[in-house]
Amino acid sequence: MNAIEAEKLTKEFQIYQSRKGLTGAFRDLFNRNYRSIRAVNEVNISIPKGEMVGYIGENGAGKSTTIKMLTGILQPSSGELKVNGFDPHNQREEFVKTIGVVFGQRSQLWWDIAVQESFTLLQKVYRVDNKKLLDRMIDVLNIGELLDQPVRKLSLGQRMRCELVASLIHQPSLLFLDEPTIGLDVLVKENIRQFLREMNQEFGTTILLTTHDLTDIEALCSRVIMLDKGNIIYDGGLTQLKQEWGEGKKIHLELDQEVSLEHLGKVTETLPVSWTKNEANAKLFTAQLQGNSITASEVLSLLVTSGVPIHEMQIQEVSTEEIVRKIYQEG
Amino acid sequence: MAQLQIFTQYLKQYLKARLAYRLDLVVKFITDLISQSFNLIFILVVFGHTQTLGGWNQSEVVFIYGYFLLPWAIFGTFFNLWSFNDKYIIKGELDRVLTRPVHSLLQVIMESMTPESLLGVVTGLIVMGYGASGLDLQWTWYDPILLILFTIGGVLVYAGIFIALTSISLYTDSKTDIQPIVFNVSNYGRYPVNIFNRIVQFVLTWMLPFAFVGFYPASFLLDRGDWRIYAYLTPVVGIVYFAIAVLLWNRGIRHYRGAGN
Repeated sequence: MNAIEAEKLTKEFQIYQSRKGLTGAFRDLFNRNYRSIRAVNEVNISIPKGEMVGYIGENGAGKSTTIKMLTGILQPSSGELKVNGFDPHNQREEFVKTIGVVFGQRSQLWWDIAVQESFTLLQKVYRVDNKKLLDRMIDVLNIGELLDQPVRKLSLGQRMRCELVASLIHQPSLLFLDEPTIGLDVLVKENIRQFLREMNQEFGTTILLTTHDLTDIEALCSRVIMLDKGNIIYDGGLTQLKQEWGEGKKIHLELDQEVSLEHLGKVTETLPVSWTKNEANAKLFTAQLQGNSITASEVLSLLVTSGVPIHEMQIQEVSTEEIVRKIYQEG
Repeated sequence: MAQLQIFTQYLKQYLKARLAYRLDLVVKFITDLISQSFNLIFILVVFGHTQTLGGWNQSEVVFIYGYFLLPWAIFGTFFNLWSFNDKYIIKGELDRVLTRPVHSLLQVIMESMTPESLLGVVTGLIVMGYGASGLDLQWTWYDPILLILFTIGGVLVYAGIFIALTSISLYTDSKTDIQPIVFNVSNYGRYPVNIFNRIVQFVLTWMLPFAFVGFYPASFLLDRGDWRIYAYLTPVVGIVYFAIAVLLWNRGIRHYRGAGN
């Protein structure tokens, strides 16, 4: 059984369109215009147990709406949806016992109550009593000192670590993370990622991660689902994504003496490489390799054999960020 | 049963959080007392000009008012839903509530509890005592039981009406100002209903049945049998209104569209 199984999942919203001006507002009183918007359009998602999947998309692409349907907050307009074997909205109270949710921009904890008390209360809500797991999570995320402080006094990084513990207190098999590392410093981010990896490996927790920070996805997920205007535009491995959309590597060169761009172009004319020159420093050049058919060493060996005086060099991999930007721009 | 356990846990936590602010608690009690005494003074001023009001003397009206404070205080303690729209709909806290395995309404109620409002019961009992001191009331053994039953009924009427009004937020994003209006109407429940116009009487009995919160049960305790049937109806009306409200709420949760991010 898959953790998430969605078929033609759709959510439509009726948007009330107001007319312009005061007369328009007056007309709205009697006759309203409604327009329906498909936030999520016949999306198929299938995620096996134990997988860590990144779910990305621009603002307004329908990510949050999807997550809200998957977590049972919203009822889908149409389509089939089974999460952990449940119909999330209609079997909500039973279903939510099997999932954990962290909304980065909203607290899951009680504002006025000490962290420890929040945990105790959650244990009661979920009817669990697993001190060992709790102690361990507290230890790994290093929040032992925060336990007696009220949540409102915590910093963002401290709070987020507490949120994670809170979301996993009942040991759910499926964890939804919506922007869990937003606004956090590098150390806390690393700490959280390490923790998630541990949880995934040890308990086989399935994780669906929504984020704008692609380094999160690179660090955790092997699979990416990309959403645009309510449609899935990519679903597959992270490496394939790079291969399909990546522009190829870049080689930055610093030469011992000035060489003309034409000369470099001539040397590598058998390979699909384009050269650019640094405006400020005439000895710096960049070679853009087209596609993934050639390797950096092919280019370099050509350069060396034709006597181009290389002083220093650096090979730049394609970043996921660049790829995603490109995909968004090209639609 | 498990829900009841969670409820007591919440109550414990909230009491704990509130008790941390001792000064707050004292201030709350004093402001409550002051605001109630203004209402009391109003009644006394009215009776400075007349002996009876629709056949009720000063002590009786004070007694009715004191009784009204009991369900009112309990309602205020457990059904503090005034900021529901802001907190749960606009800020999106309802999303969190919906990801927890407890009924959403129960969670909202538990999270909005203000245990300190329960002090209003004390105020109410004091006012009732003051009213009763001017009367010669015969208390039977079952009167206290009925008092508790009527109070619960009154709380359910109040809760039902305001939960139903709060549910509106689940259907529409726009704010409605109907709550303060109904709240004002609810104040009529603490005066003898027969002093009002017939239409108002009808509204207070069958539409927004606030007369069941204060007047009908209190008149029974005052041994005025004219409204005996109505008094007995109090728990029934309470259960009916509350049940309708919960149905509206559950339907609303289906309609809920979620807050944007």
